[in-house]
Amino acid sequence: MFNILKELIYSSGAVSLTGGNLVMWLVAFVLLYLAIKKQYEPLLLLPIAFGILVVNLPLTFLMEPEHGLIWFFYHYGIEQDIIPPLIFLGLGAMIDFGPLIANPKTLLLGAGAQAGLYVTFFAAILFGFDLQEAGSIAIIGGADGPTTIYLTSKLAPHLLGATAVSAYAYMALVPIIQPPMMKLLTTDHERKIVMSKLRHVSKLQRVCFPIITAMTIMLVVPPAAPLISMLMLGNLFKESGVVERLTNAASNELMNIVTIFLGLSIGATMTASTFLSPKVLFIFFLGLFAFVVSTAAGLLMAKFMNLFLKDKINPLIGAAGVSAVPMAARCVHKVGSEANRRNYLLMYAMGPNVAGVIGTVVAAAILLKNLG
Amino acid sequence: MPELIAPITGNVWKILVAVGDKVELDDEMIILEALKMETPIYCDDGGTITEIKIKEGDAVNEGDILVVIG
Amino acid sequence: METDWPKVLEVFGSGIIGVFLVMILLQILTQLSTRVIDFVENWSKDEEAEAESKK
Repeated sequence: MFNILKELIYSSGAVSLTGGNLVMWLVAFVLLYLAIKKQYEPLLLLPIAFGILVVNLPLTFLMEPEHGLIWFFYHYGIEQDIIPPLIFLGLGAMIDFGPLIANPKTLLLGAGAQAGLYVTFFAAILFGFDLQEAGSIAIIGGADGPTTIYLTSKLAPHLLGATAVSAYAYMALVPIIQPPMMKLLTTDHERKIVMSKLRHVSKLQRVCFPIITAMTIMLVVPPAAPLISMLMLGNLFKESGVVERLTNAASNELMNIVTIFLGLSIGATMTASTFLSPKVLFIFFLGLFAFVVSTAAGLLMAKFMNLFLKDKINPLIGAAGVSAVPMAARCVHKVGSEANRRNYLLMYAMGPNVAGVIGTVVAAAILLKNLG
Repeated sequence: MPELIAPITGNVWKILVAVGDKVELDDEMIILEALKMETPIYCDDGGTITEIKIKEGDAVNEGDILVVIG
Repeated sequence: METDWPKVLEVFGSGIIGVFLVMILLQILTQLSTRVIDFVENWSKDEEAEAESKK
């Protein structure tokens, strides 16, 4: 009788708990609180938090290679690169490239913001991270969850939890992070600029854009293929108008299903041993740095372009090159309306915003080519 | 007669005025919503409202007439 | 671990230049295709208008 009890106790996970596990429980509980009570990004935070919790309960073997339930999700979904491209499929089905097609110059703003990534790369190296880790940290500045996860899982999988959480956290904090930079780098006069009306974009142009973009980028930067092909396919679904069922499935059911597995898998990488290290604090700091520098880079690019343009762009939209869609565009609109209440920058800001998504994928592909 | 025109494409969130109201330059008249963002639309010309062409929940395009001011 | 500075600079440089080149290329192609489509659509609209007025 006593033996049975002893067996039970020894085979329980409770005896194998480490102090680190308990700390991670606390992290999980805090995130659960933020998700459920404060409704702070619950779609991602809730599964992530639960993933953290279950993976820090010893002896469950949920993340045991070849055996664990959650390991299977992680392995097939993230290690085998299925989830991030599928999220892009859904994203493409929801994105409107119209403002971008109407003003293709904004592609350069999407490129400008990515310069911030490389500055962050440099900073990460100075902080002591190796090349691959620095690349994963740099991509946080792209403000793109799936791209961050895709690149990190290939370059530095041990940093996946920290980089993914940073990326999503700072995306949600864009309304706080961006305005100070925007006000710092632009003059009041510049912020008041009203841009000329966007030209009309025909359906044929909307259909050709994803095809041309997909072909161009895949020919020039093949490593971008999984992400860009899915993004453009989703957009083609939407713009063609003939596959509404597929468009709906991609933007609703598929997105939701994939988000479940994404959140759970990411959370499950955050074991006490991988997460509780000073490196993680550096990553959070550098992630913030990445966002700030990318915002600045986009703003400066816009100001630079204005030197050559007769039809000035409002430099604020440069900040929307940080591809947090549509948070950055909304932020630009808000700051713009504070300077001039009749200025409706939202649509204009969407151009660089979606250009930034493409830009981040290209930047990630180039990093992968160099460091993979 | 002056008109209040939609400067962006979006949905009508709130109508803050009624037919017969007197409005002045810069009064907030309508709130549109685009990409989950509330965007107030301000009066360009003062006057008395003769017609409101939309109702809350309508989808409007850039250039649509929202309100007619006499 | 020693930092491979030449490699760092290579990544930094090729990255920034690479992104810009790709985006400029995309911009040019988008502008070209848009103009071509505009032209084709206007041309076919003119044709239709002519056919209507001749009736």
